[in-house]
Amino acid sequence: MNRDLRIPGIIRGPEIHVTVNGRKITAFQGETLLAALTAAGMKTLGIGQSHDDTRGAVCGMGVCYQCLMTIDGQLDQRACMTVVHDGMTIETQGDLP
Amino acid sequence: MTLGIKCDTAIVGAGCAGVVAAHILADHGLDILVMDETPHTGGQSLRSLPWPQNPSIFTGLNRPGIRRLPGRIKTAPVPIMHRTQVIGIDGHLEILAEKNGKEIICITPQAVLLATGARETFVPFPGWTLPGVISTGAAQILMKGSGILPADNMVAAGLGPFLTAVSAEYLSNRGRLLSIADFGKMQGKLGMLTHGFHQFSKLLEGTRYLAKILGSKVPFHHQTMVLEATGTKELERVVLARVDNQGKIIAGTGKIYTTGCLAIGWGFAPNLELPLQAGCAILHDPELGGWVTAVNDAFESSIPGIFCAGEITGIAGASKSIIEGELAARGILEKLGREVDENRMAVLQRQRKHVLAFGAYFNRLHRVPDTVFCAIPDTVTICRCENITMGDIKTAVKKGYDTPALLKKALRCGMGFCQGRTCGPVINRILAAVTNRPAGDIPMLPVRMPVKPVSVRSFLQ
Repeated sequence: MNRDLRIPGIIRGPEIHVTVNGRKITAFQGETLLAALTAAGMKTLGIGQSHDDTRGAVCGMGVCYQCLMTIDGQLDQRACMTVVHDGMTIETQGDLP
Repeated sequence: MTLGIKCDTAIVGAGCAGVVAAHILADHGLDILVMDETPHTGGQSLRSLPWPQNPSIFTGLNRPGIRRLPGRIKTAPVPIMHRTQVIGIDGHLEILAEKNGKEIICITPQAVLLATGARETFVPFPGWTLPGVISTGAAQILMKGSGILPADNMVAAGLGPFLTAVSAEYLSNRGRLLSIADFGKMQGKLGMLTHGFHQFSKLLEGTRYLAKILGSKVPFHHQTMVLEATGTKELERVVLARVDNQGKIIAGTGKIYTTGCLAIGWGFAPNLELPLQAGCAILHDPELGGWVTAVNDAFESSIPGIFCAGEITGIAGASKSIIEGELAARGILEKLGREVDENRMAVLQRQRKHVLAFGAYFNRLHRVPDTVFCAIPDTVTICRCENITMGDIKTAVKKGYDTPALLKKALRCGMGFCQGRTCGPVINRILAAVTNRPAGDIPMLPVRMPVKPVSVRSFLQ
């Protein structure tokens, strides 16, 4: 990651933190989890049928279900349809390497 | 479980059509309930940043009728039930919905308006399951809805005006666009001019996007498509290749781009799951974008009391949705015994005719030829949820499984989490192409309740 993907000049909500697989990342209240993960450079969110078959978000609008994650203990939640909150804990599913 | 919430009209979808209808019905004193799956109001075309301190960045809205809309959305007539997904409707207009991911509610309205919008469609290619391959819609939502670039640099590919719009937006936000691969011809864009009279503002919008791209000096390739995407675990390289007039890839024209992001989009397919599950009749018309719900002049479907408006009656964009939202609202008022202004209806019907003509032109121009679907290599994944390949489908078709429902029984395609939302429109086109039948002869995959996956926990609350 050599460039901040957050578009400059935008007034954002309060800076918060979420934890993804034990790693703390910065987010801004109001943005979606998919946006926060994208800004943190995290593209691989799950797997298909094998460890080599890595998957990431596709549609970004709740249609494709390729961004399913365990969010605050709840299985199979769509990262693109979830708005972050401070202290949110996220885990990838399917034993991602 | 909350049972028996009564109201005059339940509206599913708080996009352009749903919000406009809500305003009109509320103005007439009706008790309405609006549900939307997302946390925001405005649907896919009216996304904005969640932080109100920023100036509105609604794009593509300098069209009559739409210009006023964002303001009206900010003052929605009733609180919209966000994060609420409708999972089924039965013949007596009883609606089951999941609210906030943890509670089931049951609504019994006098009339229902389905305004469920559309989603993007794709032409699958080798490597399209790699993380980093996203839809053009996802790229736009990240920018418009969260103020984040999808990536530091990317390639954009596909077909249709939305590809141009997203490419221009990415450039405006100082993204490094490496190349645009448009399957269409440059002549197609010029043909828009003949439709410019009634749709002048749309034309202007398209020209502005084109100017942005041409001014940026980013290579803008026409008659070009993605040959393959490669990378270990994540996207690393994209190969673009030229196609001939029949849409066939010309050997030896491949050009490699090194990037971690590829945005793809080949147009839109209406979200027909709810109308299909409810039993509404559908019709096939390539000028409307393929399969759509059949409605009468009052926008009532074949099921009495279920009205449909917006992209699910034909793909033509936000202007049509706004007009139809108002027409459907007036249809509902008439159904519920209220008086309707016939003159206003006539004006709206006239406006609708113009946007439909423009839409038909675009849908004709951006119809992906059968040859493209026939040419998908056997190893390419078609159903992403269940990992069903093009080869699997072709083998099953040879054995006689030649409809979406039969293929689902034979292969499980369409049985995963997305329930065929991504592969469904693609499989319909593949079936038509490889069996040499018209697309209208391939039925839609049947839809059953729940139309979205819901947790058992929600039913137990």
